[in-house]
Order: sequence, then C-alpha cells, then structure tokens
Amino acid sequence: MIHAIEVHELTKNYSSSGSGELAVDQINFTVEQGEIFGFLGPNGAGKSTTQRMLTTLLTPTEGQILILGHDLSDDAYPAKRQIGLVPEESNVYTELTAWDNLMFTGRLYLMSKTDRGIRAEELLRDFGLWEKKDVKAEEFSKGMKRRLSIAMAIIHKPALLFLDEPTPGLDVQSARTIQKLIRQLSSEGTTVFMTTHQIEEANQLCDRVAIISHGKIAAIDTPEKLKQTFQQVQSVEISFMLSPNGLEEKLATLPEVSTVLKIGDKWRLYTESPAALLPYLIKFTEIENLDIVSLNTLAPSLEDVFLQITGQQIGSVSEEPSSKKMGMKRNKGKQS
Amino acid sequence: MKNFWTRTKDELSQAWIVTLKDIKVYYLRPGMIMFGFLMPFFMFFSFSVKREMSAGDGMARLLALTIFFTAAAAGPFIIPTERRLGTYDRLLAAPMSLLTLLAGKIAVGAFFAIAVSSIALIIGILFLNTSIAQPALMIAGIVIGSFTFSAMGVIFGSIPTRNPGDVQMPSTLIRWVLLFVSGVFVPLSEMSTIARGISYLSPLTYAQDLMNHAVLGTGDLALWLNLSVLFLSGVIFLLPSIKLHKRGRVLGY
Repeated sequence: MIHAIEVHELTKNYSSSGSGELAVDQINFTVEQGEIFGFLGPNGAGKSTTQRMLTTLLTPTEGQILILGHDLSDDAYPAKRQIGLVPEESNVYTELTAWDNLMFTGRLYLMSKTDRGIRAEELLRDFGLWEKKDVKAEEFSKGMKRRLSIAMAIIHKPALLFLDEPTPGLDVQSARTIQKLIRQLSSEGTTVFMTTHQIEEANQLCDRVAIISHGKIAAIDTPEKLKQTFQQVQSVEISFMLSPNGLEEKLATLPEVSTVLKIGDKWRLYTESPAALLPYLIKFTEIENLDIVSLNTLAPSLEDVFLQITGQQIGSVSEEPSSKKMGMKRNKGKQS
Repeated sequence: MKNFWTRTKDELSQAWIVTLKDIKVYYLRPGMIMFGFLMPFFMFFSFSVKREMSAGDGMARLLALTIFFTAAAAGPFIIPTERRLGTYDRLLAAPMSLLTLLAGKIAVGAFFAIAVSSIALIIGILFLNTSIAQPALMIAGIVIGSFTFSAMGVIFGSIPTRNPGDVQMPSTLIRWVLLFVSGVFVPLSEMSTIARGISYLSPLTYAQDLMNHAVLGTGDLALWLNLSVLFLSGVIFLLPSIKLHKRGRVLGY
C-alpha cells in the first residue's frame, strides 16, 4: 500500500553557505493513509519547516518526499491536487464573503460549478457558517475564520490534509468543533498531518505522533506506547485542606520525589515509583498535621514524555495558566 | 497531446481565477489607488504645467505614463501583501504552475492599467478634443504595454519578503529612473547622443514612441521595433520573477 507521506533523509539548511545550523536534519518517517499523525516539537524545532517542505512551499536542501506515491522533486502537480493545507494563521480573503472564498478555492482546484456549489453549501452548513455565507470574512471572529480556512482547505476533498496548529487561541466550542471535524475527516479516509503545541489535543486525536527536537525526530510512536516508555515521569497528585507556607520546599525534600509542581490547589510530585513514595507522603501528612482532600497516582502524560524528550523542564508547557505554575522544580538529574 | 491541451486549458482557467480574485480584493485598496491611479496623473500634471505642448502630445505622454505606472504598481503591492497575510501560500500550494500564477498576477496589473488608460483616453477625447491618428494601434499599444509593465512590476513583487515596504522602495526608485531616462518628458529627438543611447535601454521609451505613432501619427523609432521590444521585454521580465520565486522557496518566503 502506498504511504500517504514518505520522507527520506529530509534536510533543510536556511543558510546560503550551507554552514548554518540545520533546521531539519536528515529525518525519516512515513504516514499511513487514513492516519491522524501529530508532529510535536518546541518552537524552532523544525515542525513548520518540515510541513512547508511537505506542502511544496519550501525547497528541501536534501532528501526525498513522496506524497501519495508522487515524488515532489519530479512533478509536484499530482500531489498538489490531493493536498489540502490549513496554515497556522487563517489565510482567508477578508474582503470576500465566505461563499466567494469557497468558490475561489473550488475553482482553483478545478471543481465544476455544480460540485463546488453543493460542496460549499455542505461545508458552510457543517461548520455553522451558512447563515453568514454572504458576509465578508473581515466581520468574522477568529474561530469563524479558522473554520472557513479549514473549509477552503477541504472543499476539493483532499486525500491528505495538513493542519498547522489547528486550535490555539480558539474558544472551547470552536476548538471542539475543529477536533470533531478532524476525527470525521479521518473516519472518511482522509489522512491528517497536524503540527501542534497542544499536547493533550495530540494525545486525544492522533493515531501516532512524532516528536521533533533540534531538527531531528526524537521519538515516533502511538501516544500510549510513548507514555509506557517513560515510566520515570509518573506522579502522585495530592491536595490538602490548607497549604501552609514552606510546604513546597518540604514536599521537595521527601525521598523518591524528583520534581514538585503546584497545579491549581493540587501538588504534583514526580517520581519513578509512586508505590515507594506513598508511605513517605502519608507519614509526612501526619507529622505536618495536614488533612488530605484528594490523592491520586498518575501515569506519565504525553506532555511529560514530550518534556523528557525535548529536554525541557516539567511544567514548562502545562495547559494551566502560567500564573498558576509556581511549582519548584528540583532536578535530581533524572531529566534529559 | 490531449493531456497537454487539457492541462493548458486548466492552467489558463486558474490564471483567470487568480486575476478575477485579485480584481475583487485589491483594485479598491488605497495602495492601488495611490500608486496605480493617482500617481501617473500627479506625475503628468507636475511635469506638464506651464509647458508648451499640444493636446495630442499631452495625450500620448499621459497614456505612456499611465500604462507604465499603473501596470507596474500592482505586483509590488499585491504579492508582498499576500505573503504577509499568508494567502500567497494558498496560491503556491495550489495545483498550478508558477508560470500560471505569474500570468494571473500580470493580468491583474495589465487590466488595471488598461482601465486607467481608458479613463485618461476618454478625458482626452471628450474634454481636450484630442484626435487619435491610429486607434487600432493605440489599443494594441495599451494592451501590450500594460502586460509588459505589469510583468516588470511582478519582478519586484517576487522579491522574497513579506513586507510591502521592502519592495515599494526599489520598485519606485527604478520606475523613476526609467521615467527620466525615457523619452516621456524630453522627446528623443531633443536628447544628446549619450542620453538617447541610455533611453534605448528603457522599455518605456518604446511605449512612449508607440503612443506617439498611435496618437500623433508620427514617431522617432520604427513601429515594428517598438512593438517587438515591448513584447520581448514582457517575456524576458518573466525570467527574474521565476528565479526570485525559486529563491523565495529556498529561503522560506
């Protein structure tokens, strides 16, 4: 079976002399047809550069890209006809109405007048934009522009859809609508390649994820298998009736604890062995006379795995607002 | 062979769609009105006030100025704006060749110049009683000149940048230089040998002489030479645009 995406030794160096740091460094991976594939990485890791090369917007320095069996360096035309692209910024024509935006894209992809009319109506209705079809996109909210941008990318029913950061900055309702759409597209056989910072989103949506760091693929697998590989980032989450001053420092001194993180009214204690930590923790609460409200053991999250692989500190890309991330990180040399 | 014709038909259709979209989106934008519509008229009146010239002479100069400035204004405004907004990526990722995209963009500037020239022409005929010696030649000249100078504007638009300001400066500078070395304000017959030699390097010289033939019925250069140079310049102008776009794809623009 032909892979949706096949990448061999893909390299990108932006430096004209070829001496600069490689933005993408000889990466190899494949994406199967019908798969939702997440491409994760910190800023500057090479995510967008890779996606731009896969969508013909950027010329690779070296390497080979096959999109649905078509080598982009030979003739990108057949591949382009089967690709849909949703960039990070919603690139709709704000001077045009939603309907005109879709008609333009449909014509660009050589759809017949009847087909693009039927498809545009279907998409506008599905995306909750039908009532606004004759309104210029400049009057749309960010979420509406995002939905229109995705509708434009899939009007020609692409076999492969590229999504760059599909949901950041959107309200919960818009984000859920888009996530639902991604699942729906996948169930209809569309391959989805998404770059994202939203690790939990990737965890929930993706069949497989690749983590790219410093231009190299650091890990590639299903989210669950990746989590199993990183058992050292298990944790115990505990909340108390009261959290006296200095509690953070005291928790950090407990045996088996590698990192302490305050998340809302809870404390998350990272450890390699929750079972070994629990007796110490219970004893600690008795000595300190603390009343426990809740106590849970947590398996590693995809975010934890991501942080381990990319060498960032736990808590640095938490979904929680940054103002709440007051946790102390005590590095015992276990983080990469 | 059938595939070739089908593909050619598809590509022409896509170029036309790009043109229509740009007409809807950009023709009434302040940047286009300022640099494409008002600028040639300002230039004309600035250099024509208190100068002795016939209505026909003025008409020929105004037509050459409008096709030059208006046509060359579109590319440097539209392409960097689209790069900045991310909409250019949509076009680059679409299933059409770069030549098709450039053809669509060139037609945008050319149609704008044809429209503005027509306004100048109507004003000249209705209010200045200007007579046109060779109407068919004038129409051909406006059309060929508009496409040629629009192709020149697209070269500047193809510079790999997302900031229209980075493009406006060199494009304005070069257009002004071409304007002053060409026979628009000083007729070729009144130029020194060196100045005349330099003026032959500018396609605007040939556009002006062509308009002189069309409006006044006389010119300094052969008609075939004017038409050939304008047509060939338009084709040659595509080459740096293609090269700059390829460079942009290497650099990430």
